[in-house]
Amino acid sequence: MAKELTTESYIEHHLTNLTCGKTPEGWTCDPYKVEQMGFWAFHVDSLFWSIFLGGLFILFFKIAMPKKINTVSAPTGAQNFIEMSIEFVEDNVQSLFGSVKNTLIAPLALTVFVWILLMNLMDLVPVDFLPVLAGHIAYAVAGEGVEWIKNPESFYFKVVPTTDPNITLGMAFAVFVLTIYYSITVKGLRAFIAELTLHPFGKWLIPVNFVLEMVNFIAKPISLGLRLFGNLYAGEMIFILIALMLFFSSIPIGILGFGLHLVWALFHILIVALQAFIFMALTIAYLAMAHETEEH
Amino acid sequence: MNINATLLAQAVVMIVFVAICWRYIYPPILSVMQEREKRISDGLEAAKKADDSLEEAKLAFDKELNQAKAEAADILEKANTRASQIVSDASLKAEAEAEKIMVSASTSIENETNKAKEELRQQMSDIIIDTTQKILGDEISKEKHEDILKKAAEEL
Repeated sequence: MAKELTTESYIEHHLTNLTCGKTPEGWTCDPYKVEQMGFWAFHVDSLFWSIFLGGLFILFFKIAMPKKINTVSAPTGAQNFIEMSIEFVEDNVQSLFGSVKNTLIAPLALTVFVWILLMNLMDLVPVDFLPVLAGHIAYAVAGEGVEWIKNPESFYFKVVPTTDPNITLGMAFAVFVLTIYYSITVKGLRAFIAELTLHPFGKWLIPVNFVLEMVNFIAKPISLGLRLFGNLYAGEMIFILIALMLFFSSIPIGILGFGLHLVWALFHILIVALQAFIFMALTIAYLAMAHETEEH
Repeated sequence: MNINATLLAQAVVMIVFVAICWRYIYPPILSVMQEREKRISDGLEAAKKADDSLEEAKLAFDKELNQAKAEAADILEKANTRASQIVSDASLKAEAEAEKIMVSASTSIENETNKAKEELRQQMSDIIIDTTQKILGDEISKEKHEDILKKAAEEL
């Protein structure tokens, strides 16, 4: 081990992403050159898990569902699960969207819900398991030749994409873009601008209205992204602290940590599902607002 | 934990996944579910229809059965009446026939008796005359004593 393993370095290791970006010397994933990468850097680990889990979602929903209706017997197993999720999403969309017909909303909500649920569930994989595995794979592939992979343990690899604000804010940003798109296409540009400038004080205070409405408008995606990030980041942090109890203290505290880990994991399942649901429900709600034409 | 291009990449990835789901995943699943829902409701409706028609058929069957029973009873009654009538007719006729036969028989018996009586009387008178002639000689002729003979014959 090149570096002394302390509690501080352990926590820091678990909270740092594998970042790849362009430096003056070219593309690299060297964690010591992150400063030089600037904005055009990518968290490869977060994106990998995000795309992997999204692909898993698409694949599962494609394969498990029969192409033609089964006329002989009732659906079973995975198909029931899929239909249950679809009905759950349809119910939510129906209750928030009412009569407005937009075929994109339900698939969007389904994707958001299942995808975030899967990403959140990565939190329940023991905190050291996948990072160390990835470190060994990277070490085996790149080996000693690459200067920044000194040893498998120091290889940065963050497993839960939703504990990365880039991921949650990125999704919130996509929702925000859709909100603006539907606001303009459904209400028309004039009505959309009027909504942002003529409330709440009428036409004589347009600048004040605009500032107030703009804060309101921008706060939605930011709060949407940060809520998910904050909940999962805190959950991950507690898992890391409990893991510290197991590795860095006496045996009785280690045993206590084991029990705590179980309790927190059970409780965290609730947070995992709840945050996925909240993100989905708010996504639907924001898009429903974008479709509301009447003044309020 | 810097904000960097990961954010944009994730936004693009999300739009791609949503588009795939919107285009290729969601509609087939939904159509399968809706089709099955329709099938089930159709099936229930058909079952209800079949139930109704069964009820109707039962009612019609009961009606037919009752009618047939009534008809059968009617026919039976008619047949009974007719049979008893035939029997009574036949017995009446037979009685009349018997009467007639009896009457004719008794008449013919009487006739025969009378005829026999007449014949006997005739023969008796002949015998008497013959015998008397033999006794008296020719003193008494048949012609002379016609009246006496007749009287005697009548007394016999």
